[in-house]
Amino acid sequence: MSAAQDDGKTCVFEAVGLTKEYDEGRGQALRGVDFRIHEGEFVAITGPSGCGKTTLLQMLGALDVPGAGTLNYRGESIADLPAPAVYRAREIGIIFQAFHLLPTFTAIENVQLPMFEADLSMSQRKERAAKLLESVGLEGRRDHFPTKLSGGERQRVAIARSLANSPSVLLADEPTGNLDSENAHFILDLIIRIHREQKMTLVLVTHDMTIAQRASRTIQMKDGRIVSDQQL
Amino acid sequence: MTFFIVVIRGLLRRPVRTGLTLVGISIGIAAVVALVGISRGFEQSWAAGMKARGTDVVVSNMGSALAPKPFAANVRDRIAKLPGIAATCSIFVDMTSVEDSSMMIISAREWGGFSWQNLKLISGRMPTDAEEPAVVLGQTAAEVLKKKLGDTVQLETKELKVVGIIDGGALVENGSLIISLPLFQEISGNEGKINIIDVRATPGSSEDDVKRLCVAINSVVPEARAMVAGEHVGNSQAYRFISAMSWGTSLLAVIVGVLGVMNTMLMTVFERKQEICILLAIGWKRSRIIRMILWESALLGFFGGIGGVLIGVAGVKIMETLPAIHGLLEPDLSVGLMINSVLIALVVGVISGIYPAWRSSRLTPSLAMQG
Repeated sequence: MSAAQDDGKTCVFEAVGLTKEYDEGRGQALRGVDFRIHEGEFVAITGPSGCGKTTLLQMLGALDVPGAGTLNYRGESIADLPAPAVYRAREIGIIFQAFHLLPTFTAIENVQLPMFEADLSMSQRKERAAKLLESVGLEGRRDHFPTKLSGGERQRVAIARSLANSPSVLLADEPTGNLDSENAHFILDLIIRIHREQKMTLVLVTHDMTIAQRASRTIQMKDGRIVSDQQL
Repeated sequence: MTFFIVVIRGLLRRPVRTGLTLVGISIGIAAVVALVGISRGFEQSWAAGMKARGTDVVVSNMGSALAPKPFAANVRDRIAKLPGIAATCSIFVDMTSVEDSSMMIISAREWGGFSWQNLKLISGRMPTDAEEPAVVLGQTAAEVLKKKLGDTVQLETKELKVVGIIDGGALVENGSLIISLPLFQEISGNEGKINIIDVRATPGSSEDDVKRLCVAINSVVPEARAMVAGEHVGNSQAYRFISAMSWGTSLLAVIVGVLGVMNTMLMTVFERKQEICILLAIGWKRSRIIRMILWESALLGFFGGIGGVLIGVAGVKIMETLPAIHGLLEPDLSVGLMINSVLIALVVGVISGIYPAWRSSRLTPSLAMQG
């Protein structure tokens, strides 16, 4: 991989003319999106519902492929990755709005799930999951099943899970959307702290401008297009 | 947490459904164990009976009935002259209802023939001559008929006195009513007819000698077929029919098992669609998802197989005690049959999981973002 450099900053993602159709072409989620995201940036993607921000996040996470255009990760086309699962497992951590913990696994087991794709022994997986839960303040809740955790706690477990394989990029889809304001504030602070401490690239999708204002850069979308891209 | 635990948790997600699927496959495998065990045991118990009588070659015409077809008694004279034969014994075997027993082996033996010699008297005596209206009962036959010495047994229209209870050294012998050949020929209206000739080869004959003896007998006896003792039952049309029925029924049971497991696994995949997408989204390879589903279905098969073996063995043991067939069954519930049954169940599980696993691997990880 040969990532582009902009003023000495490594380009992590580069999108050129990105489009995405749905319903067999009856609708367009993305209509020609261009941007670059650099190493260590905190980018908030905002916009109203249906503007294409989640579709864009899915493409960044190799969960979906573009209809046209190119989307590169460190100089390599994500759509052409030989093993997208390896990319998702090792390079990307994803935080979902609805937490998406697996109900039949405890907090510590949920955190260990992505580690099956890493070269870690069982004891190493367990030890690392325990440390990650400790880092999000859940050391006392590690053996609880998701149904026994509050919404904020579940999202903290999901954050720990997203960090399981030490990714370099964190993708968050409305991570506070299902939380009350107190928990939302706590979770946002936690994500930003992790981004800063671990110097991770953070791409956060939100429709809440107060959250977007905490990012270093805001990309605003409307009807599948970027309407503004501001450094804050 | 190991991958195996992930698989087990998947199965325990819906314990009732998993349990019902296990019961379904267990019943299928139980049918395999019971039917195959019984049919194999039937063949083996006849072979053991032959061995107990010291018979090396059996000359009979095994048709489609359980008992061989009758042929002229003087066939024995042609055989007895052949070299390599130490002794012969003419027999008429029938399987018929006797008093309270719906099925009993009647073994009518040439008076003075060697096939009487293996019978060890437990109580009473042997008939005094070929014409005495008497029978000896194998110990199991005596239990089934609830007869003791001095009682009478009605055969056709004739009342015969039980003069001895014997141990014949094999289930077939112990489950038989043994009578002199002339007496039975008269009672059954088969004068001058027999349906088996037991042949004893000269001492020291090798297996090849015995096979050569069969060939020699077959060349002079077109109305019957000589076979190495024990093999004649397996080659009979009746046994083959029973065996084919057993395997056919077992195959049906296995197909039902396949459909049951496949249905469960498809339901599992549909229900856990989002869960599988989440696993794909957090980096699981499609191959790992396939392995997870296949392991789940294989474990269903494996535990279903174990359950099936237990149910099958218990069922056969219960059947053995039923009055109607008590003394006739000596099922071959060997370790080999049990291992094979569990392996069949395991293969059933894996095969049943292939399509659901393939379906699960086609899911797109972006579905994880929904809901």
